[in-house]
Amino acid sequence: MDPVSTLPKLLGLAWLLPLVSFTLIVFFGPRMGKSGSKAGYLATGAILASCVLSLFALFFVWLPGYGLPAPAHHQAAAESSHEAPAGTAHDAAPSVKAITGDWYTLGKFGSLRITIGYYIDSLTMLMFSMVTVIATCIHFYAYGYMHYELHEVVDHEVKLPNGQHLHRRGRFHRFFQYMSLFCFSMLGIVIAGNIAMVFVFWELVGICSYFLIGFYIERKSACVAANKAFIVNRVGDFGMIIGMMIFFGTLGTFAFGDIDTDGDGKPEPGLFSLVRSEENHHALATPDGMIKAAAAAEIGRGVVPTAEQIQAWREDISPGSPGRYAYWLLITAGLGIFCGCVGKSAQFPLHVWLPDAMEGPTPVSALVHSATMVAAGVYLVGRFYPMFAPEVLLVIAVIGCITLFVAATIAITATDIKRVLAYSTVSQLGYMMLALGVGGWAAGMFHLITHAFFKSLLFMCSGSVIHACHTNEMTKMGGLRKKMPWTAYTMLAGCLAIMGAGIPFSIGLSGHYSKDAILAQALSFKAGNPFYGWLFYVAAGGAAITAFYMFRLWFMTFAGTPRDHHIYEHAHESPKVMYYPLVMLSVFAVGIGWSVERFGIQPLLEQTRPAGILAMSNGVLMPDLVYPSEHASHLDEFHGPSTYVATATALCGFLLAVVFYGLRILDPNEVRNQFQLIYRFLIHKWYFDELYDAIFVQPLLFVARRVADFDKKVIDVFIDKLALVTRMVAGLDDLIDRYFVDGFVNSAAAGIYGVGTWFHGAETGKLRQYVMFIVIGTVALFVLISFYLNSTLAGF
Amino acid sequence: MESTYVTLLSLIVFLPTAGALALAFFPREKTDAMKTFSLVVTAVVFLLTVIMALPGQGGGWQFDAAVSEMQKVFSLDWIPSFNIRYFMGLDGISFPLLLLTTFITMLSMGASWPIQKHVKAYCILFLLLETGMLGVFLALDFFLFYVFWEVMLLPMYFLIGVWGGPRREYAAIKFFLYTLLGSVFMLIAILMLYFASDLKLLSDKQLVVANVVSSYVDQAAQAEQIAALRAQPQPIHTFNILALQQLGQHTDAFDTIILGKSLQWWAFLLLLLGFVIKVPSVPLHTWLPDAHVEAPTPISMILAGVLLKMGGYGIIRICYPICPHAGYDLAYFVCLLGVVSMVYGGFAALAQKDFKRLVAYSSVSHMGYVVLGIGVWSAVAGNQFNADAWKMGMNGAMFQMIAHGISSSGMFFMVGVIYDRVHHRNLDQFGGLFAKMPVYSGLAIGIFFAGLGLPGLCGFIGEVFVTLSVWNYSHALAVISASVVIITAAYILWTLQRVYLGPEYRGPHGDHLHPMTIRELAIVAPLLVFAIVFGVYPQAVFHYMTPSVDRTVDDLAAWTRMEATSSPSTADDAQEREASIAQQ
Amino acid sequence: MNLLTQPIGVSHYLIVGAFLFVTGVVCMATKRNALGVLMGIELVLNGANVNFVAFGSEYLRPDTLGIGLDGQLVALFVIVLAAAEAAVALAITLNFYNNHATVDVDQANELKG
Repeated sequence: MDPVSTLPKLLGLAWLLPLVSFTLIVFFGPRMGKSGSKAGYLATGAILASCVLSLFALFFVWLPGYGLPAPAHHQAAAESSHEAPAGTAHDAAPSVKAITGDWYTLGKFGSLRITIGYYIDSLTMLMFSMVTVIATCIHFYAYGYMHYELHEVVDHEVKLPNGQHLHRRGRFHRFFQYMSLFCFSMLGIVIAGNIAMVFVFWELVGICSYFLIGFYIERKSACVAANKAFIVNRVGDFGMIIGMMIFFGTLGTFAFGDIDTDGDGKPEPGLFSLVRSEENHHALATPDGMIKAAAAAEIGRGVVPTAEQIQAWREDISPGSPGRYAYWLLITAGLGIFCGCVGKSAQFPLHVWLPDAMEGPTPVSALVHSATMVAAGVYLVGRFYPMFAPEVLLVIAVIGCITLFVAATIAITATDIKRVLAYSTVSQLGYMMLALGVGGWAAGMFHLITHAFFKSLLFMCSGSVIHACHTNEMTKMGGLRKKMPWTAYTMLAGCLAIMGAGIPFSIGLSGHYSKDAILAQALSFKAGNPFYGWLFYVAAGGAAITAFYMFRLWFMTFAGTPRDHHIYEHAHESPKVMYYPLVMLSVFAVGIGWSVERFGIQPLLEQTRPAGILAMSNGVLMPDLVYPSEHASHLDEFHGPSTYVATATALCGFLLAVVFYGLRILDPNEVRNQFQLIYRFLIHKWYFDELYDAIFVQPLLFVARRVADFDKKVIDVFIDKLALVTRMVAGLDDLIDRYFVDGFVNSAAAGIYGVGTWFHGAETGKLRQYVMFIVIGTVALFVLISFYLNSTLAGF
Repeated sequence: MESTYVTLLSLIVFLPTAGALALAFFPREKTDAMKTFSLVVTAVVFLLTVIMALPGQGGGWQFDAAVSEMQKVFSLDWIPSFNIRYFMGLDGISFPLLLLTTFITMLSMGASWPIQKHVKAYCILFLLLETGMLGVFLALDFFLFYVFWEVMLLPMYFLIGVWGGPRREYAAIKFFLYTLLGSVFMLIAILMLYFASDLKLLSDKQLVVANVVSSYVDQAAQAEQIAALRAQPQPIHTFNILALQQLGQHTDAFDTIILGKSLQWWAFLLLLLGFVIKVPSVPLHTWLPDAHVEAPTPISMILAGVLLKMGGYGIIRICYPICPHAGYDLAYFVCLLGVVSMVYGGFAALAQKDFKRLVAYSSVSHMGYVVLGIGVWSAVAGNQFNADAWKMGMNGAMFQMIAHGISSSGMFFMVGVIYDRVHHRNLDQFGGLFAKMPVYSGLAIGIFFAGLGLPGLCGFIGEVFVTLSVWNYSHALAVISASVVIITAAYILWTLQRVYLGPEYRGPHGDHLHPMTIRELAIVAPLLVFAIVFGVYPQAVFHYMTPSVDRTVDDLAAWTRMEATSSPSTADDAQEREASIAQQ
Repeated sequence: MNLLTQPIGVSHYLIVGAFLFVTGVVCMATKRNALGVLMGIELVLNGANVNFVAFGSEYLRPDTLGIGLDGQLVALFVIVLAAAEAAVALAITLNFYNNHATVDVDQANELKG
C-alpha cells in the first residue's frame, strides 16, 4: 500500500472514530443500556478500533512502505559530525519525507489560509500508537473503575448544609463521553499539519481536561481545580497566540511542511522549510518574511527588498539593525510557542495546576494528566523543534531543569499517593524539556514515549489502590502487597522503570534507556558549554530524588505493616478488567525501550528526524552557545559516564528509600523535625499557590472591581451628573425665559397699555374740549416751530 | 429585473410593518393569537431571506455569493428636490447580517411568550423594530439609512421603557439619549458630506458603479443619462452611499479644510462616534449594561444580537470607504478603541454580581474584537501594500459579528430562562443547576463556551482571526488583544462554576426549577446548532461575505497605494498633503 | 410801524382775518349749541378766506408769484367746501336733534374713549 495516500486516510479514520463515539453518547448516552452502561462499550470500542487502525498503519503501511529504519550508525555518525568543523556539518534531509496535506479550509484571505491538515512522520506514527494503546488500556480500566457511577452515588466528600452527604445520579456515560472527546482532541494535536490546528485541539484537550478534572461537579475543590487548570493553560496559550501571530504575520503560513495548496504542482513552503531552507543546507536562518517585517521602515522609505538586500539585512546583526530585530522576532515567536507548551506540560512557572488536577477520577489522571495531554507540550516542542533558535532552546533547557528539580523536591514530602505521582509527572516532563533544550531531540521524544507507558501504569496502580482503600493518603496504607499482589508487582515494575533500573551497557527497563540518553546529552552539552554544566548535575540529582520518592511511595503503600487496620481489612484486589490493563502496560513499561536489530523507538524516530537539527549550531546573539550534534552523545566519553552516573544516583535514591521506608531503619519524622524549615517550605509546594494568588489573582480581581466601579462610579455618575446639569441648565433656562425674556415683553406691553390708558383720559367725547385741544395744539406747534425750528424755517 | 428587486426587498423590509398594521385590528384579549401572528410574520420574513441564501439562480431572488458588488439594487425617486432616493441593495457585507437579523428576530419573538402586559402594543412595536433593523442593513441612500436608523430607535425605547424591569425608565432614557446623540452626530456628518458632494466629479464608469446611472439599461441610455447629468450647471449633491464612496476614494471632494482638519476627518469622527456608541465601545458603553439588565429577555436578545451589529456595519460600510484618508489617519484610534473595549469589558465582567450584567459586559468585550478587526490598516508602504492581514481582520470582524449575534443572544436567553423560574439574577445565589436542569445546563454551557471562544464553536473563529491579523498592524495592540483570552476564560468559567456547578442551588424559589419547556428548547437549540456549524464550518459564512469584504479592503488598499505613490512624501504625512490641497 | 398810519396793506387784512378766526374759535369753544358751533366754523373758514384773498391779491402784494388768482381760487374752494360742510353738519345736527331732542353738543359724548 502506498503510504502517502493510505496513511492520511487510515489515521484520519482513527482520529475521527472517538468523535463519532462522543457525538453518539452526547445524544443517546443516558439511553444506552442500564443507566448508560453501554456508553462505556461504545467509547472503548471506538478507541480500540482507533488503536487497531494506528497499529495497522504503523506495522503494515509505514514499515513496509519505508522499510525498517536504517541500521544504527551512532558511532560512525557521531564521529563524522564531531570531527567536521563547526558550521559546515549540515546533514542532508532525511530519506523519508513527512506526508503533508490539507483536509479542510477554515478560512482563506488573499494568500493566507487557515486549514485543518496533517503532517505524518514516524513521530506522528509513534505518538498515534502510543496514545491509542494507552487510551485503550485506560478505557478498559475505567470501565471497572467507574463502575460505581452506574448506580446512585453517595459523595462522601460533599456535605450538604443539612449535614447529609450528597446523593446524586451516576454519570457513567458522561465520563466516557468526555474521554472520547479527549481522545479525538489529543489525536488531533498529534496529526495536526499546522500550528493553528494544533492550537484548536490544544484548546479542546484543555476543555476536556476541564470537564474531567471537574467531573465531580459537586465538589468545590474539583471545580476550582478545573478552573485553575483551564485558566493557567490559557496563560500559556496567551504566549502561544503571540508566537502564532508572529509566525503568521511575518511568514504568512501556519503549515509545518510544504503543501501544494494552489494546485500548481509546486508545493508552497511550510514553516520548516522557510526557517531551514534547502538552499541553506537546512541550517537555521532568519526567514525572509521576518526580515521584511523587521525592515518595514526601510521598505516604507522605498528600499526594494531584493534577495541581495534581504541577505545583507540578514547578515547584519548589529544592535538596532533589521537583521537583529528579525532574529529577535524568531526568538520571541519560538518563546511564545514554548510558552504554550509550558502551560500544557505544567512547566515552571505554570506547573501549579497539574497537582490540583488530581481531583479528577484516576483514569483521567492516568490518561490526561500524565501520559498524553501534558505530554502534548513536550510533543509540540519536539514537533516544532526546527523552528527554535539556540537561544530559545537554552531557555527551554533552563525551564525544564528548574521544573524537574522543584517538582521532585515537592514530591518527597507529599503524602497523597496521586499527588506524589503528579509531581513526579511534572518532574519527568521537566526532564523531557531539558533533553530537548540541550539538543537531545530524539532523547526527549524517546523519554516522552517511555514515560507515557510507565507513568500511566503507575497512576492506574494508584487508582487500583484508591479503589481498594477509598483513600489517597499513603499514611493510612502499608502492607497491601499481600492483599493486592497484581497491583503491587505491576507497580513495582513501573517504579523500576521510572527510576531507570538496569545493568549498565547490557539491559534495563525502558526508563533506563531514555534517562541515559538525556543525561548523556546533558553531559555532551556541558562539554561545549561549561557554564551550563549545572544542568547536568541537577538532572543527575533529580534522578536520585526520583528513585527515592518512587520507592518511598511503593514501600509506604505495599511494604511493611499496615498503618490503618480498618482500611487494610477492607482492601481487596481490583477486578480483572482493571488489572489486566496493568499487566499489559507493565509489559510495555519494561520493554518499550528495547531495540531489536533495527526496530525500536529510537531508530524509528531517527528515520524522520527533522532536517537540519542534527548539525552543530551556534547561537547568533550568544555566539558562545554551542549545540553539539545529538549523535555526539553516543560517544563513549559521554555515554559511559552518564550511564554510571544515572545508575549510581538511582541506586542512591533507592537505598535511601529502603533505609527510611522499606526497612524503616531510620525514622523520617526525625529528619522532618531536623529540617523543619525546609519541610514546611516543601509541604507548601514552595508557596507557589500563595505567591500567585498574591501577585496575580488578587490584583486581577482588584483591577476588575476597580473597572466595574469605574463604570458605576465614574462614567455612570458622570453621565448622570451630565444629565443633572442638563436639567439644571434647562431649569435655569426656564427661569430666564419666565422672568427675563417674558418679563421684558410683558413690562413693555404693560407700559404701552399704561400710556394708552393715560391718553385715554383725554378722550372725554366733549366737542368743545377737542376744539380747545386743537387750538392749544396749534398754538403750541406754532410756538415750538417759531422758537426751535427758526433756522429751518428761515432756510426754507 | 429592477421591479423584481423592488418587490423582493420592499417585501422583506415592510412585511413586518404590514403585520403591525394588521395587528391593530386584533381584539385586545386574543393575546396568544397576536403572538402567533407576529411569530408567523417574522418566520415568513426569515424564510424569504433563507430562500435568498439558497444556492441557485431561480427567479433572480437568490443571492449570488460569487459577486462582490452590490446586487439586487434598485433606485427610485423619493424626494427628488434633494436628490433623495428609495435606494436599496445587498452585498456580502449586509446579507449575512440581514439573515442574522431575521433569524434572531424570529427566535426572540418566540422568546416573547412570557410577555403578558399590553401584548398588542408589544407585538406592534416589535414588528416595527424589525422593519427598522432590516431597513438599516438594506438602505443605500444615506437619508434612507438615517430614517431607518431612527425608526428602529423609537420602538426600542418603548420596548425597554414599558416592558422592562424595575429601573426601566432610567435605562430606556439612557439608551435613547445615548443613541440619539450618536445619530445627531451622524446627521451632521451626513449633511456635511451631502453638501460637499458633487456627482459631476465622478467618471462615467464610477457613475454606473455607484448606480447613479441605472446599470439595467443599455449603454446608449446610460450615455444619455450621463450627458443630462453633466449638462446641469450647478453641483449635484447626493445622498447615494455608493457615490459618496467613489467620491471619497477617487476625488478630493471631501478634502476641504475645516478648523485645521479636512472635512472627511470631521465627518469620519462624527460618524465613528455615532457608530461606536451603538457598538458600543468604551467609554461610551454604559448604556448597554443598564439597557440589557432592564430590558425583557427577547429585547435583550435583539439588542445584543442585532442592534450592536449596526455599529460595526456602519463602520465597514460607511466610515472607511467614504472617508479613507481620515480612516487612515485615525486607524490607530479605532484599533485602540477596540482593544480598550476588549480589556475593559473583560475586567468589568469579571467583577459583576448580576448574571445579565455580566453577559452585557462580555458583549462589550466581544464587540471590541469587531472594531479592532475592522481597523487594522496594515496595507501600508512598509508592508508593500499587502492587504491580506487586513482582509483577515475584517473578515474576522464580520464573522465575529455573526458569531456574537448567535452566542450573546443565546446567553441572554439562557439567563432569561433561569430568571423566569427563580426571579433573581444574583450570581452568588445560584449553583447546582446541573443536577436540577441537566439539559438546560448542558445547552447553556455550550452557548457560554461559544462566547469563551472555544474551538469548534463560532466564537473561536472570529476572535482568533481578528487577533492574528493585528500583529502586522501593531505589535503592542496584538499582545494586549491576545491577553484577553485569559480574562475571558476567567470570567466565563467562574460564572459557570457559580451558576451550574456545585452541590446545590442556594437561592430562593428552588422548587420552581423545572426543566426547559419545548418552546425554550426550540429557541436555544437552533442557536447552539449554528454556533457549532459556524465553528466547524466557517466557510458557511465566509462563502457569502468574503468576496465583498475583500473588495472593500482591496479598494482601500488601492487607495493607500495611490495616495503613497502620488505624493512625494509618505501617505501618513497628512499635514504636507493638506498644505498642498490648500495651495490648490 | 404804526398800522394805523400806514396805507391799507396785507397786514390789515390779516388782522381782520385773525380777528374773524379767533372769534370763530372762541365761538366753537364756548357755544354749547350745535348751530353756534357751526357758525363758529363758518367764521373760522371765512377768516382763513380773508387771508387767502389778501395774499392772493396783486394789489396788496405786488411780488405775488403764480398766475395771480391762486388765493381767490382757494377762497372759492373754501366757500364751496364750507357750503357742503354746512349741509352735512346741519343734517347731522338735525338727526341728533331727532334722536336726543336737543342740540347741546355736550350731550353728544359718545365718542368718549
